[in-house]
Formats: sequence, C-alpha cells, structure tokens
Amino acid sequence: MQGLGVKAARIAIVVALFAIWEILSRTGIVNPRLLPSASDTLSMLGDLLQRASVRKDLVVTATEVLTAFALAVPFGVLIGFLIAENRYFADVAKPLLFFAFSIPKSIFLPMFILVFGVGFAQKVGFGFFSTIFIVIMSTTTAVESVKVEHLTIARSYGATQMQTAFRVYLPSMLPVLLEALRISMIFNLTGVILAEMYASRDGIGHQIATWGENFQMKQLLAGVVMIAVIAITFNELVRWVETRCSHWRT
Amino acid sequence: MTATTLRRLIVIGLIVLWEMLPRMGLIPELFLPSLSSTLIAGWSDAAEYGHALAVTLYEVAISMAFACGGGILLGAVVGSLPRPRILIMPMVSSLYAVPLVILYPVFTVWLGIGSESKIAFASIYGFLPTMLATAAGIQTIDPQLLLAARSMGATLSQRLVRVIIPAAIPTVLSGLRVGGALVIVGVVVSEMLISSAGIGYLISRYRTILDSPHVFAGVLLVLAMAIAFNAGIKWIERKAAIWQTGSRAGQRAADELTAGAIQPAT
Repeated sequence: MQGLGVKAARIAIVVALFAIWEILSRTGIVNPRLLPSASDTLSMLGDLLQRASVRKDLVVTATEVLTAFALAVPFGVLIGFLIAENRYFADVAKPLLFFAFSIPKSIFLPMFILVFGVGFAQKVGFGFFSTIFIVIMSTTTAVESVKVEHLTIARSYGATQMQTAFRVYLPSMLPVLLEALRISMIFNLTGVILAEMYASRDGIGHQIATWGENFQMKQLLAGVVMIAVIAITFNELVRWVETRCSHWRT
Repeated sequence: MTATTLRRLIVIGLIVLWEMLPRMGLIPELFLPSLSSTLIAGWSDAAEYGHALAVTLYEVAISMAFACGGGILLGAVVGSLPRPRILIMPMVSSLYAVPLVILYPVFTVWLGIGSESKIAFASIYGFLPTMLATAAGIQTIDPQLLLAARSMGATLSQRLVRVIIPAAIPTVLSGLRVGGALVIVGVVVSEMLISSAGIGYLISRYRTILDSPHVFAGVLLVLAMAIAFNAGIKWIERKAAIWQTGSRAGQRAADELTAGAIQPAT
C-alpha cells in the first residue's frame, strides 16, 4: 500500500536521529559522560545481551508480563462479554468502568506492595490490574461492533449457538480484539516495568533503575534502547497480523 | 430499579464496605485502612499534604503547558499536512508502544531529582498522546466545510478563524483531557520513584514505613486531583458545545480516540 519511498524516508529519519546522537556526543557538544555516543551504547547493548544476569532479568520480566497477560485477557474478555450482552448490566456497569478506566492506576502500586510484598505476585498483580480495565472496555467495543443484521440473518437461517459464535461473532470481533490485545500488552508491559522500577529485587526494570542511580549512562541507555526495540517489535508484529485479518471486517 | 439507582447503590455499598471490612477485621488494616482512619490521617497532617500538593500542582501546571501546548501545536501541523502525516504518524504511534517510564532514570541523571526531571518526564509522557489525538482530530474536519468557505472566497485567516479552529476545538479538548491526565500520572509516578517532595514522594515514604492510612490519604488526594481535572475539562467541553454543531464526525472520532487507543497507560 505504501510506497517504497515512504519506508526509505522513515528509515532515513531513524538513521539521522542516531547520527545526531553520535555527533553530539563525539564532538563534545553534550558531555559524553551524560550522553555516551550511539555506537558506544549499541556495543554496550550487545555486551549486555551476553551477560547471564541481564538475560535472567529479561526472563523474569517476560515471565511476569506473560503471566499477567494470560490472567488479564481471558478474565477481562469474559467480563466485557457479559457486560456487553446484557443491556441493563451494561447501563449499570459502563460509567463505573469508564471511571475506573480514567483514574491513574499507578498510584495504587504501593497498595500492591503492602498486600503482596515485593516479589513475583506483586508485579503480576499490578500488571493484571493495569491491564484488566482496557481489556474489558475493548471487549465491550468489540461485541458492539458485531452487526445486528448479521446476527438476525444467522438466526433466521437457523444457525446454532456455536455457529453464531464462530461464524458471526469471531470474524467481526477479531480485528477489534487484536487491536485490544496490542494495546493491553502496552499497558501490561508499562505496568510490570513500573512495578519493577519502584520496588524489586530482579527484572529488567529494576536493572534500569539501578543503572540510573549509579550514573551508568551507557548501560542505562542500552537498556532503554533494548526495551524500546522489544516493545516496538511486538507492536509492529501484532499490527501486521491486524492488517492481515482486516479483510474479514465488512 | 433503574440502572442509575443501582449504580449509586453500588458506589455507596463500596464506600460502606471500605469502612466496614477493615473495621471488622476481615481485611487487615495494613492492606486497606478504613475510610475514616484514612481521612483522619490526611486531616491531621493536612499541612504536610498541602505543601506536597502545592509542589505537585506546580510541576503539573508547567508540564501541562509543555505537553499540551507542544502536542496540540505539532499535532495540528502534522495532521493538516498530508505528507508529514503519512511519514510521521505511524512512527509516532509505534513510539507510543514503548513504556516511557524507562526514560525517567535518564532524566534524573541529566536534571537531578528536583522538579526539573519530573517536568521533563511528565511533558514527554503527555506529549505523544496529545499529539496523536490532535492530529487524528484535525484530519476529521469535514472537507466540505473548507471547500464551501474557499469557494465563497474566504481568505486564509478567515478560514482559520471561522472554520478550522471552531471545527478543531472538540479534538483539541479531548487531546487536552488525555494529555492532562497523563501529565498528572507522569508527575506522581516520577515523584514516587525518585524524589524529595510532592505527593508521590509522601506516598512512597509512608509506604516504606508501612503507614497505610497515610499512604491511602495520599492516593485519595491524587484521585481527587485527577477527578477534578476531568470535571474541569468536561465543564469547558459543555461551554464549548455550541461550537461543535458543525463537526459531529470530528466529535465522534475524538470520542472513539479517548475511549480506546489513547488512554493513560497505568
């Protein structure tokens, strides 16, 4: 769909940003101790990925993120589905959910520490908490995106419950659900990393916070680049699947 | 029973439960102090909380000027010019996937642990969503309106003042709402992480000494701040509602945006 030129221009922008970073640091316009050059940072990134401790931290964070995700998504989809299917229930719950959705979740982080202590359960709990509302909201939107006419036609042709679920609901909801999956993963990752930075013994967020406190700029920037790359890669992957599935949407 | 009454009953029930459960010992006071003890804790140290609130509000105000001013301006520019839009918007929205919290340590190294690092972090935190919302909203201005204005010989400045700005107001407001909420979150989170003043700092300090009533008093204060901000924006939106008649589509798009993709992550 997009021209090759646009892609090339985007790559050029990214390369230019790294080049400016490199030049600023190399020429000493910015103190290299505060901003190590891009090449140094990238070589440090390679170095970090070799280290067993960093790999272990990445595994810890990934486990926490995936556990919270695996808990939040089915739970949220179920609640969202129930809310969307019942009009009365939707009227009651929606404003409350909207409210819960709009308040900042991060201030409840200390509560998770008071309840769960500092550890795996606290991170998963907070990740779950910061993800669940967006999953519920998106599911209700997804259910509402199913066209009533399609349902009526399916029913009048005598489709069974299973058939309606898989032939009508799933195809019309899939694009919205994928979008929801992508956004809730963003929320989840942010939640877990924040929890790790706030109080933790391991995990990559904890590592980044420690590097910051010790003024280890090279490691810190390498960590930032690493997480950014991971997040963007995941995001683009889901988006790619999204465009693949969008032909189902009518 | 209508939905509204049931909803009110649920809210009242939750507040009563908050008071009763810790009192009856069903939930330890450490996990959830009762509402009354939270309020008493907040009231007895009102001076301390007031001082912290002043610091936080000052940081929020400055960051909001940066985040919303910059976000709306740049969003308007990018949204109204097709070429940069196609080029930049997808990049900005993939940037949005990055958990920006990891930038905060960088700012503390560069700017110290005072207000400056909070302002820098919160400005960036609120900037991207504001820009995305504004750019998306500017696109939804009905081209018919612009065409009509131009064919009737409106000058550029007339088009800007009479058409573009009124049509863009709902979008800008929703951008302001999202950005503002994120700025509040950004300031409080950064205060919670590393700082020496502000509400977030108070919350963290009382958390380390396991004084939950004081922690919850701080949490309530932040909640009140977020709710007051939301109410303020809604009030302005109602005041500006006259302007919205011409741009239903824009309003709907803005609503969808605020409801879905662009919301305070954590």
